[in-house]
Amino acid sequence: MLRSRTAAITQRLAAYCGIAIALLVTLFPVYWIASNSFKYDIDIFAVPPEWYPVNPTLKHYRAAFIERPFLQYALNSLIIAVSTTAVSVVLGTLAGYALARFQYPGRWRHQISFWILSTRMMPPIVTIIPLYLAFNHLNMLNTKMAVVIAYTAFNLPFATWMMKSYFRDLPVELEEAAMVDGDTRFGAFLRVALPLARPGLAATSIFCLIISWNEFLLALILTLTDRSQTLPIGIAGRVTQYHTYWGEISAAGFFACIPIMIFAFIVQKHLVRGLSFGAVKG
Amino acid sequence: MTRALPTPTTSHHARGSGLEQWVERHLRILMLAPAMIVLLALTIFPSAYMLIAAVTRISPNPDLPWEFAGYQNFARLLTDQQFHIGLRNTLVFTVAAVTIEFLLGLGLALLLDRYVRKLNLLKTLLMLPMMLPPVAVAITWKLIYEPQFGVLNEIMFNLGLPPQAWAGDARLAMLSVIIADVWQWTPFMFLLMLAGLASLPIEPYEAAAIDGASAWRQFRDLTLPFLKPVIAIALLLRIMDALRLFDLVFILTGGGPADRTKTLSLYIYQVAYRFADQSYAAAISLFVLFATVAFSTWFIRRMRLAD
Repeated sequence: MLRSRTAAITQRLAAYCGIAIALLVTLFPVYWIASNSFKYDIDIFAVPPEWYPVNPTLKHYRAAFIERPFLQYALNSLIIAVSTTAVSVVLGTLAGYALARFQYPGRWRHQISFWILSTRMMPPIVTIIPLYLAFNHLNMLNTKMAVVIAYTAFNLPFATWMMKSYFRDLPVELEEAAMVDGDTRFGAFLRVALPLARPGLAATSIFCLIISWNEFLLALILTLTDRSQTLPIGIAGRVTQYHTYWGEISAAGFFACIPIMIFAFIVQKHLVRGLSFGAVKG
Repeated sequence: MTRALPTPTTSHHARGSGLEQWVERHLRILMLAPAMIVLLALTIFPSAYMLIAAVTRISPNPDLPWEFAGYQNFARLLTDQQFHIGLRNTLVFTVAAVTIEFLLGLGLALLLDRYVRKLNLLKTLLMLPMMLPPVAVAITWKLIYEPQFGVLNEIMFNLGLPPQAWAGDARLAMLSVIIADVWQWTPFMFLLMLAGLASLPIEPYEAAAIDGASAWRQFRDLTLPFLKPVIAIALLLRIMDALRLFDLVFILTGGGPADRTKTLSLYIYQVAYRFADQSYAAAISLFVLFATVAFSTWFIRRMRLAD
């Protein structure tokens, strides 16, 4: 009896050690980039490394956001993310509701759902060449609009599937009751289903914001000037073949992470559903 | 299955103007149409373009007409060494990274599910990496791997091991990319597994405990089968993402050294924008697209994931 209790305690201790290591490995890189963004160059290059900024400085933030156009990049990122989200969530909510509630002849409902999902499976590199040429032809390269259109192609399938999953969780009786009371079908959607799906709407929007804020490849190809380049592109631009501006990219990189950390905290309850396109409910 | 509402016809509650009635009657089309039209425009056009481009020879001079090239661009796939390297790198990366992420994620989920009661804060901290911008992740690991002053070599030094060039070393570059990816995406596996574990029924475990089944038997015969749908979805999503890896290698290694980390996405990018060979880029893209769709369709059927 005593021996099995010792074994249980040892096991528990081992488990806690494992979790502590996982936590350390997870958080250290984030801490490290944050810490380096507040160090002078000479301290970034110090051997052995300086484990925390002994002489903290905002020098690199000033360099990035005042001397270089990172504020503009951040603003571009924000405008692009918000516009993409607005378009994707509005269209995705309508389509998601239709796919959750209406009957279509044959197996069309199933097939349309699957087709929408399959558009998301396309690797971005596959669609980017034609989009690049189309935007070039329309004189839309280096515009935020082009990036928003390209991002919508990737966010809309996601928003549709997410909203479909949230609408399916709502009891259909409430909408039926509204219609018995004389509301139209669309009115039942607008006044009954939509308010009930608000948490889902919020979670879907935040996910779209995160996806757009983080995206790299499409923006890399569609934008070349400060007017439309996003934060990730700006950061990558400071990693050149000859020199890497460690301080600046650490500052801008950590800055790019801050809104994401806040968002991640807000959507944590919906995270699993968002990550699995609504397939797994967390 | 949820119950679907009957399609509204001209029933007693459809009042109002003619327009309103028309909207009501066609509501199921009208609500679906905007998203469908946008998606069709954004996928059919690129797909059609790719198909045409792949069977032609596009001159870099936009004024010259396209020449029909038949299957020539696809025939090149068979002999192009760079393409084979890209394909092999992509497969090696996908298999290694996704396997490690899955095992670590499952292990961590089992630990937390069993030993930690107040999960919320811990979960929020552990999931952080996967939400961060891949570019920020790439520069963070670039900083950690830096051969001269990087923190990883400092740790190696303290352990009495020789310093390495990591992402700059042909032997270690792929490993370095995999480690960074594992760091970012293990939380994804972990979270999905944890959600799966939380939804397990209790009764079978009580019965198994009465029968005296060992912890391993319970895991193999109960936990794994119950988790199968979640595992399948998690693997599918991660594999599809891993197959298109771009951001991390673009910044961390640029595909080098000696092409050891050149993925297919990176190669297509180089062919299209550095070599300006759109036809061939289209042919490779189509190959990637068909391979991805074929794999995911097979996987979805196999795992009975549809709907």
